[in-house]
Amino acid sequence: MARRSRKYGEDVPFSITSMMDMMTIILVFMIKNMDAEGQLLTQAENLILPVSTSRVQPKEVSLVVIVDNNYVLVDNAKVIPTEDVLKQEDLLVTKVDSVLKERRAVEQEHALKAGLPADEAGHIVVQIDKNIPYDAMYKVMATCGFAGYTNIAFAVMEKNGGED
Amino acid sequence: MSRQLKKPAKPEEPDLLPAMGLFTILIPMLLSMAAFSKLAIVEVNLPERSMMQMDNDTPPEPDQQALNLSLAITGDYLVIGARGGFQPNVYFKEMWTFRCKSDAKLVTYSPDDVKAAVDGGHGPKCKDGSEMDKEKYLYEIETIELWAINKESEEDPGRVLWAVYTNGGTAEEAIADSAYVDGNNNFLMAPGEGAMGLNPPSALKKPSAGADLATLTPNSARKLKPDVAAKNLIHPLSAYDLIAKDLIQIHTQFIDLDDVDNIIIVANDDTQFDKIIQLMDRAKEAGFSKINLAKLGG
Repeated sequence: MARRSRKYGEDVPFSITSMMDMMTIILVFMIKNMDAEGQLLTQAENLILPVSTSRVQPKEVSLVVIVDNNYVLVDNAKVIPTEDVLKQEDLLVTKVDSVLKERRAVEQEHALKAGLPADEAGHIVVQIDKNIPYDAMYKVMATCGFAGYTNIAFAVMEKNGGED
Repeated sequence: MSRQLKKPAKPEEPDLLPAMGLFTILIPMLLSMAAFSKLAIVEVNLPERSMMQMDNDTPPEPDQQALNLSLAITGDYLVIGARGGFQPNVYFKEMWTFRCKSDAKLVTYSPDDVKAAVDGGHGPKCKDGSEMDKEKYLYEIETIELWAINKESEEDPGRVLWAVYTNGGTAEEAIADSAYVDGNNNFLMAPGEGAMGLNPPSALKKPSAGADLATLTPNSARKLKPDVAAKNLIHPLSAYDLIAKDLIQIHTQFIDLDDVDNIIIVANDDTQFDKIIQLMDRAKEAGFSKINLAKLGG
């Protein structure tokens, strides 16, 4: 009886070496997969981007226009329902155009203050749901051009999640 | 002397608890920064503002020496135009591949079948017998495929062309990735059997290990390894692949022209954005770096 109580009374050393091994493996895996450059572009909600073989990454933060099944958004603010864009005959989407022109004026003002050329073409990234008809896409793209954003890029999902 | 005979002290284990603490902080931090799907951009050329506001009465003089390449997509076919002429139409049958939420399996339907089911008050059916949400089924489309069709005439409904593809998926869930071409740059293909050629042709066999094949990717000629040969699949030939092959040939043939890197993609109003991106991908891969967009009949 005395022997038993002594046996269970002893401190059993807790070995965390195996847990450390596991943690080290997870840490190395996470560091390998970490993107040191960060993401300049984040996917909008309520849309599915098309998959593409493109590996081109945006070089700077740009104004983002989103076209989903319900709305056209500029910088995450709802501007006009997508259905209205599809219904109109005119190529220029007036509501989007006025918002973009305001943003362009602010950009040019900042460029002048920073001593940079203000008349350079603006950059814009357009996130469009993959099922959106070409008509809506074309009107939004043309409107961006009219507002002075002629460097247009479409956001896409990298094929196979960017893995080679 | 007696001290020397004493047993050596048991080596002490290093205290790993601080390191554990550090790891416990680092792992959640890295996990929060991890990107599981990467976004990229596809750049598109837009005419300068001065050109966009140009007087419609004075269109620019067409350059007779230029290639003036365009790629048009309608609801039924793709066609390449250059120097005022057009290549034969590449007809296709559109198919939607869904990834069901209920069983995570892929299922392929034609848009007409999907619309008929939705009109009948049902969503597209999954392999496990469940139905997709008839309001939100569009969000479950994984790929919009364009199956190339072999037509003898305008009236001919045509037959689906089948080809040998590399497997971009797993052994359980094969996904057609790249179509093989032989030494003469021809696809390993044949028209399908049954109504509209929807069944794979029995004459088309998967190439065995050791066969000399390539894909449309440059410098992809290879001797087929046994494990790769076993995984290959026979799948309907994509109209995108047929067009990609033609674009590569055109770019190589007219490499000396000034506008050899330019292409205009022309589409109908109702063409889905996904198709435009797929065509832009094929054009970029063929070497056309300056892509413009235009509307059919507009």
